[in-house]
Amino acid sequence: MYGLVALGYHITWATSRTMNFSQGAAVMAGAVVAYAVFVALGWPLPVAIAVTLAALACFGALVERVAVRPFFLRASPAWLLATIAVGIIAENVAQLTFGKDARAFPSPLMQKPIMVGSAGFYAQELLVPAVGLVLMGLVQLFYHRTSYGKQLKAVAWNPEAAGLMGINIPRAVMASYALSALLAGVAGILLAPLLNVSPQMGTIIGLKAFAVAIIGGLTSAPGIIVAGLGYGLVESFTAGYISTRAREIVGFGLVILVLVARPWGLLGEKPSRRV
Amino acid sequence: MIDRLGWAALAAAAATVPLLTSNTYYLYLVISIGLLTIVTAGLNVLVGFTGQTSLGHAGLYAFGAYTAALCVTRAGMSEWAAIVAAIAVTSIVGAAVAAAALRVSGPYLAMVTIAFGLIVEGVLIEWGSVTGGPGGIFNIPKPALRTHYWTVMLAATLALWLTANLRRSAWGRAFLAVKSSEVAAESLGLSSYYVRIVAFTVSAAFAGAAGALFTFLNGYISPDSFTLQTSIVFLLALLFGGLGRIAGPVAGSLALTILPELLTSLLDYRLILYGTLLLVSIYWLPEGVIGALSRGRRRTAPHPALSPEGRGFYSTLPLPHRGRGPQFEPKGEAVRRGLDSQGALLTVSGVSLSFGGVAALADVGLTVDRRSIHAVIGPNGAGKTSLLNVLSGFYAPDGGELTLDGRSTVGLPPCVLARAGIARTFQTAQGFGGLSAWENVAVGVAGRRLGSILGALAGLPQARSREAAIHARGHALLHALGLEAAAAEPAEALAAGLRRKLEIARALATDPCLLMLDEPAAGLSPAEITALDGQLTGLRDRGGPAVILVEHHMDLVMAVSDRITVLDYGRVIADGIPETVRRDPSVIEAYLGAAP
Repeated sequence: MYGLVALGYHITWATSRTMNFSQGAAVMAGAVVAYAVFVALGWPLPVAIAVTLAALACFGALVERVAVRPFFLRASPAWLLATIAVGIIAENVAQLTFGKDARAFPSPLMQKPIMVGSAGFYAQELLVPAVGLVLMGLVQLFYHRTSYGKQLKAVAWNPEAAGLMGINIPRAVMASYALSALLAGVAGILLAPLLNVSPQMGTIIGLKAFAVAIIGGLTSAPGIIVAGLGYGLVESFTAGYISTRAREIVGFGLVILVLVARPWGLLGEKPSRRV
Repeated sequence: MIDRLGWAALAAAAATVPLLTSNTYYLYLVISIGLLTIVTAGLNVLVGFTGQTSLGHAGLYAFGAYTAALCVTRAGMSEWAAIVAAIAVTSIVGAAVAAAALRVSGPYLAMVTIAFGLIVEGVLIEWGSVTGGPGGIFNIPKPALRTHYWTVMLAATLALWLTANLRRSAWGRAFLAVKSSEVAAESLGLSSYYVRIVAFTVSAAFAGAAGALFTFLNGYISPDSFTLQTSIVFLLALLFGGLGRIAGPVAGSLALTILPELLTSLLDYRLILYGTLLLVSIYWLPEGVIGALSRGRRRTAPHPALSPEGRGFYSTLPLPHRGRGPQFEPKGEAVRRGLDSQGALLTVSGVSLSFGGVAALADVGLTVDRRSIHAVIGPNGAGKTSLLNVLSGFYAPDGGELTLDGRSTVGLPPCVLARAGIARTFQTAQGFGGLSAWENVAVGVAGRRLGSILGALAGLPQARSREAAIHARGHALLHALGLEAAAAEPAEALAAGLRRKLEIARALATDPCLLMLDEPAAGLSPAEITALDGQLTGLRDRGGPAVILVEHHMDLVMAVSDRITVLDYGRVIADGIPETVRRDPSVIEAYLGAAP
């Protein structure tokens, strides 16, 4: 599930060499909107999912417009801080409208656990990695097989040249942000039944997903999915054998180790420096 | 003058608060401002000077606070000893974190620092036997609020004074140089990794001091005070106040402490407020409140004497400064040997380099003699600049041998080669933005010999005499290149031709034994090129450094070169004295195409 959110970092990074640090807020928004439409308004599930995804795509586009475009191509970390700012605002807005309390999200896949030996799990838990893998496959296909995907890659490599070739850069970047937020929204919907829905749920997921993106390599979608699964496993083992809190310590410790040993990630491309 | 009045007014205001009121709330508020000022002043060194973002300073702040608390409650140390211990521990932790984290930069660094902050927070909660767990540490003996007020005000003043000293020192210039152009900084002998570690450590020490003072403010501490949000507030205060400005931390701390207090009724909207403030300061106040205030009264028109044609270009280019000046030793034996001993200065043999299958250099060999001007020419894309990049260590060759003064230099990083006496300019000028023309040259003069960081912080006499020496030499170089009038101008405001001159001055400032010029004549007027011609030969005749000249301007090349190497498609197609090369059929073919 981290892999899915982390894929969103990869998508915007691959297009614009910027990242949406409010990915966590997008996950939260996905869960909150889905809750509002599905549980509170009682709309049918497919409609609720469609509405949520549309809302998230708009959120992504908005983030790009407000927090990234003004600073794109300017060599400054301003976009980083600006997206954090948007995330903070989104969290607060959710808090004001949704309330601070966590709420349960019902799902047909959470009714009874499937038992394998003594360990039990819910079908929903299987759905998350499955959807993650499928979406990764789609993203890869999109980048390598479609001309629009190739355009996005061209923007990443050399925005100036891509612009001269007639690619609408602002639109390409905005599209990548919309797509990235959309993935976070999918993650939000999938996670809503597993965790409880609350305005604070996003921050830590966003951070962990970022950790996963860096471990796997920001430039590599397969690397990110592998790292996402690995990170999830390491977390559950630490939580199981040591303690729940230690889980975070071990997880983020891992990031620091990876960055020291292989700053470009496990499967990422080693950047060459241009002089 | 206005600055001084502002500082005086601020000091007076801080001094009168405890006289006017006995309300502890106000004292508490001003102390909070002071603490935030100390942290952000330190953060300013990292973010403002060096350009690296940290979102983990709450972790360092926590280290300072908990160290102080444990020193007092467990070891029974006095308050002052505890503060010193906190600074020491935090500096060590900061240096260790920096050594690991600064292998990456930009968003990666932000992530590592976030991770560090979260780990610290997690450990504080988990390691209950030492840190008291989620509840924290209670009953820490604390001084009277009024006494503490003066301590914190003193510390905040000290913090600002230290950063102001630092900004004016060789270290401060090195920080800004690394921020502006890592590549150029390394070509002058600075290791950007090392420079950033020092900046991070300084900022950690400041955070540690503030953390310790925070402990003695409340008498209890808990993990709640050291969350990611705390780190964000630190950064926000700095950005809002003014990144890289000495007074920025004060303005930001005032705003970020007082604003939430005024708006307590809007507690629920606090995050929106922070977020909006952050966006606003990034959008409209890129230099913060202080930057916006001072922009109004800065002189904007360039100096009248600064037309590119002005002054005698290269009129009296000084010799490298060998062995002169008592306080300022030259680069050492390596350079002198390089200039005075016998044999070839630089030999290149069998060097190849390829970029993903495209051979930029193939089996390149050449020899540069001492006191000679060696031109490297060839059509565009022949590999000339790649060769310079290999020679200066920016690219590691795939194969081949390089020796400087008889010793192999393969695999050495740019900053080590620069210290060995290789200086260069860049095809696209890489001036250090944010530094004046003089300061640009001063970075070259100092090179890696930055002196003690503590001396620079405190403005010790030793650091000041070093400054005087750098000042004299830097101005001599500027004068020689006709840039004296531009000395105080920001480098990014100079015209292209002047920037090129500045870059040559900066390269010469490192006392090189080999100076590599990448298209120095590009964009110069014919008169300036003639002057360059005379100057290069003058430099050689007076025993200056050997010069490798990459240039397209053939008149200049033919006039000054002792030897010419011609590259085409990454191969050496001719090598010899100008007369031979001029008549070489393969050279003519490479430039003009095959004879019919």
